[in-house]
Amino acid sequence: MEIKRTLPPVLILVAFILSWHIGAVIYNMPFLLPTPGAVASTFVSDFGIIMTGLAQTFEAAFTGYIIACLIGFAVATIMSLNHVAERSLYPYAILLQTVPVVAVAPLIVLWFGFEMKSIIIISVIISLFPIINNTLLGLKSTPTTLVELFEMHSKNSIVSFFKLRVPAALPAIFSGLKISAGLSVIGAIVGEFIIGSGSEDGGLGVQIIYAQAELETALVMALITATTLLGFTFFATISTLGYYLMHKWHESEQRG
Amino acid sequence: MIAVQNVSKHFENKQALSEVNLDIATGEFISIVGPSGCGKSTLLRIIADLVSTNGVVTKPGKGAFVFQDSALLPWRTVQRNVELLMELEKTPDKKTKAEQALAQVGLTGFENHYPHELSGGMKMRLSLARSLVLEPEYLLLDEPLSAVDELTREVLQEEIYEIWLKHKFTSILVTHNVAEAVYLSSRVVVMSPRPGKITDIVDIPFRKRTPKLRSTAEFSVVCNDISGKLRAWK
Repeated sequence: MEIKRTLPPVLILVAFILSWHIGAVIYNMPFLLPTPGAVASTFVSDFGIIMTGLAQTFEAAFTGYIIACLIGFAVATIMSLNHVAERSLYPYAILLQTVPVVAVAPLIVLWFGFEMKSIIIISVIISLFPIINNTLLGLKSTPTTLVELFEMHSKNSIVSFFKLRVPAALPAIFSGLKISAGLSVIGAIVGEFIIGSGSEDGGLGVQIIYAQAELETALVMALITATTLLGFTFFATISTLGYYLMHKWHESEQRG
Repeated sequence: MIAVQNVSKHFENKQALSEVNLDIATGEFISIVGPSGCGKSTLLRIIADLVSTNGVVTKPGKGAFVFQDSALLPWRTVQRNVELLMELEKTPDKKTKAEQALAQVGLTGFENHYPHELSGGMKMRLSLARSLVLEPEYLLLDEPLSAVDELTREVLQEEIYEIWLKHKFTSILVTHNVAEAVYLSSRVVVMSPRPGKITDIVDIPFRKRTPKLRSTAEFSVVCNDISGKLRAWK
């Protein structure tokens, strides 16, 4: 059964790498399209510097993600408890989503400087909306009869918030957290792009810009692989956490 | 006893309930039947204080509500669901009471199961057990058996009757199943829709309720009488 499940995506990956390799060999312009083997060997030979970049990008994305979670949970909680707050804040939450972050990023760098701080802020902006939106949705869609049940037997709204609203919202909260996990890495890379200038030591985004200017395409692709792995690891970690919290009782986490 | 006096209810200009008056004796089991939209669930929620009214409801202090969808917390095991209301009301001896209540509804051995692993009938038993542990003076049941199959429904009716016989809490059952109302109650209240009001209160003559009662001619006569009263409003 395990093999039946994992085989199809693995086959797709093998087919993709194979056709890439064939294409690169036929095209024969290694500085534009290096072979998968060349990318892999660059990944190994430049492993040290890639890992330094990965560590920096991870720090920015992770910090941004945690801040986005804290702000997101707080704002969604306030909005779920108070209709006036919801009506006044929600349009601006949407604005967060609709303003192109790439366009705002240079301004943030101007304000907060060419440093980690700016990268974190950009990562926060880009990953905040899904957390607010899904947490709010979850907190507001507690089944009516459960709300009535708690109303009859508890006068304490803090108790019903933590014993009822929050656990009932968990599936929605986690769907927001999963979307934002990948976005926080994207935000960090965008931030590093804006900051990135003539230096090798910096986050993955900085290194990509640098390697591109040097026409080191294999390195660019090795760095892209590293960013993808980072985003994927973020997503997988959050998914696993959600699985452990919910697989016993929620159908979205039950593996059939 | 539970006394409902001059209870009316409007929802956005529409009158849902009009001047409802009803007295239920301590330890009595009554049912309310009526077509959908007659406000019978609203009346039950008014008695439970879940919906406001300009009338007056007098009732004992401790009560519980059994919901149509059993209203279990899906993230809690059977054990933790039975303990929920005791937890909210800070009742002592949770463990012992939970154990007794689960035994009473035949759910011993299922303590570590989650609600999604239970059948509709078991969910309702669990919902009952969760209310019983509070030792309520009155129990409000809102179409509790509408989601279970016909066979389970009759078995559960018998179980509810046995439980009521043992504890004698004042009970109000809202249902659209006439036979269910007749089997369980000493009186059946018939309501009409738009606006909801009481049109009839039928005394049920049977003393002891056993499964055999269902197949007697007298039982059918009473059921048909009430069905006729309900149909008069269609």
